[in-house]
Amino acid sequence: MTKRKMFLRMITASLLRRRSRMLIALLSIGIGATILAGLVTIYVDVPRQMGAQFRSYGANMLILPREGETLTRADLDETLQAIPREELVGAAPYRYVRLDMTSRQQSFTAAGTDFAGVTQTSPYFSVEGAYPAQTRELLVGKEIAETIGVKVGSTMELTWQPTAAASELSPEESRVPGASLSGSAEGFGGGMVYVTAALNEDAAIDSLTVDVSTQTAEYGGRIPEDETFLAQFTGKTLPLTLGEDVDALSGATVTSGAIVDALNRAVQAAAPAKPRTVIFTVTGILTTGGEEEGYVFLSLQDMESMTGSDRLDVVELSVSAGADQLQTYADAVTGSGGKAQARLVKRVTRSEASVLEKLTALVFLVTLVVLLLTMICVSTTMMAVVSERRREIGLRKALGASDSSIRAEFLGEGLFLGLLGGVMGAVLGFVFAQAVSVNVFGSSITFQPLLLPAAILVSMAIAALSCLLPIRRAVAIDPALVLKGE
Amino acid sequence: MSLLELRNVSKVYGELKALDKVSLHVDQGEWVAIMGPSGSGKSTMMNIIGCMDKPTSGEVLLDGVDISKESSKRLTDIRRDKIGLIFQQFHMVSYLTAVENVMVSQYYHSMPDEAEALEALGRVGLRERARHLPSQLSGGEQQRVCVARALINHPELILADEPTGNLDEANENIVLDLFAQLHKEGTTLIVVTHDPEVADAAQRTIVLEHGKVAREVINENFGK
Repeated sequence: MTKRKMFLRMITASLLRRRSRMLIALLSIGIGATILAGLVTIYVDVPRQMGAQFRSYGANMLILPREGETLTRADLDETLQAIPREELVGAAPYRYVRLDMTSRQQSFTAAGTDFAGVTQTSPYFSVEGAYPAQTRELLVGKEIAETIGVKVGSTMELTWQPTAAASELSPEESRVPGASLSGSAEGFGGGMVYVTAALNEDAAIDSLTVDVSTQTAEYGGRIPEDETFLAQFTGKTLPLTLGEDVDALSGATVTSGAIVDALNRAVQAAAPAKPRTVIFTVTGILTTGGEEEGYVFLSLQDMESMTGSDRLDVVELSVSAGADQLQTYADAVTGSGGKAQARLVKRVTRSEASVLEKLTALVFLVTLVVLLLTMICVSTTMMAVVSERRREIGLRKALGASDSSIRAEFLGEGLFLGLLGGVMGAVLGFVFAQAVSVNVFGSSITFQPLLLPAAILVSMAIAALSCLLPIRRAVAIDPALVLKGE
Repeated sequence: MSLLELRNVSKVYGELKALDKVSLHVDQGEWVAIMGPSGSGKSTMMNIIGCMDKPTSGEVLLDGVDISKESSKRLTDIRRDKIGLIFQQFHMVSYLTAVENVMVSQYYHSMPDEAEALEALGRVGLRERARHLPSQLSGGEQQRVCVARALINHPELILADEPTGNLDEANENIVLDLFAQLHKEGTTLIVVTHDPEVADAAQRTIVLEHGKVAREVINENFGK
């Protein structure tokens, strides 16, 4: 048998055969390690936990059109690429207009939005009834509902009047003869087809330019060279119908159709805006405690068909990320050179950051205190163990144990305790953290594989440190005490 | 040839002279008993011989080396290499088995060797009890384990402090028989005792009184 084997045999026997004594030491270090491992797990997980928690307090980032630009839904999808999908909790686009309720001679602020997004960015919205699920359904703010006395199931007739602001969007000059129109539509395989048409004095097409570079070269791509096909358009008045006013180019039906669509859209967009009236069914009454109670909410589809525009005024985003990370995303959106710019909702992000900071500081402090208490507890237990084993230590010294052997044996026992306590702590600590997480934050946490070695190392270090003083005392024991027949 | 020699050894604790210019010598292979009433300086002498204490003055020659001025670290080395200790209270490591207790002594001395430790237990008649914990052994059995532990490293000197003080007569005889065997094999034995019967088993008895050697008695009947 080697000396090392005997050493291990002695220290393990000391712990395993003196169970009741060592159980106390093991318990103190194990509980300490458990709480530490648990706290560290929570500490690491708190930003994530709280991040998810904070998201129920509303959007923390806004996307707005850049000055002088118009933001549409298509632009939004592109903009959102800058934010990782798993961190984007929700996005709610808003378009605000005034709608008139002619029957009562009142007008309200109406918000066109995506209700699926709203439930995620504003989970605190409380709806009596249900969110609109289809077009021509309306969510009415409580304040309005009380004023005009509508209930779930009532109908409301709302009218959109083009205003000066709306007219701006459809420039006057584009509607007059002699102007040029441009538009786009989706062609074959999803590629966009762009058209520009110059109109003559009778508002008929004078000349047509197409950009079909996204289309298959041997089919749709042939169109710019096909004089016969293009010639069909000259002199025609928009809108056009494929197959009646113009024939499709054979083998390029989809692209041909896209050109017609693009032209029709262009002329529609350029057409003078007309008032539109829609009869909505009220599906829900909204209570928020905020200004939203003075709005009516409808789907973006309704908003688009009423106003003839898919522009967005603002997009509220709820992103599960810390303040710094959010700023990075916002900068990415703003810096991308697109039509959008992003801003943080400072009120939300700041308070989140400060709450997080306080919480992590608190957990850190508690961790420190527990660390200290554990060390005191282990040290006291080891001290008791040393005085209980004075005679054994004296005997060992009498048998020829050097001071360094005594040190090694006690340190060995301490480290072994630390090892056991660490394993116990890592496992129980995770259970503890899980329990705290489920009870306090209502969500579970994932096991950090690094926790096991970390907990073992830390608790071994704590055990070793706690043993220093007891070891000094053990070394000072006089071997002669065994002779005195005490 | 003398293994141990004390020359004018004194040990003073404040006013108290525990040992007062004691001189004695013990030959290689000799079996000596040290007797004396409480407070006569027995324990002090035992501590000094056992390299666990240093005299205030005088010289202690163990195997020709003066140990009276060695550092405590050196004393530990000397004790480990040359002396086997047996105590009145047995003193076993409570959580180690009999054989492991013997191996502890090997561990500090050189290399633990379980077969050799078992053989030593066989010598004291406890081969069958090797795997028992001290709490499962009788006092006599424990003391026999301690004898096995003391002899396992083949020390030059076995120093026993009241080895039979806590034993009944039957066990006392067993231990004395073991001493007799060790003596026959040439081991030097110094036995501190109150008990005249134990002292009578030795070749020579040194009687201490008030820190001085009062008298020496040669046992005429030794070996008979």
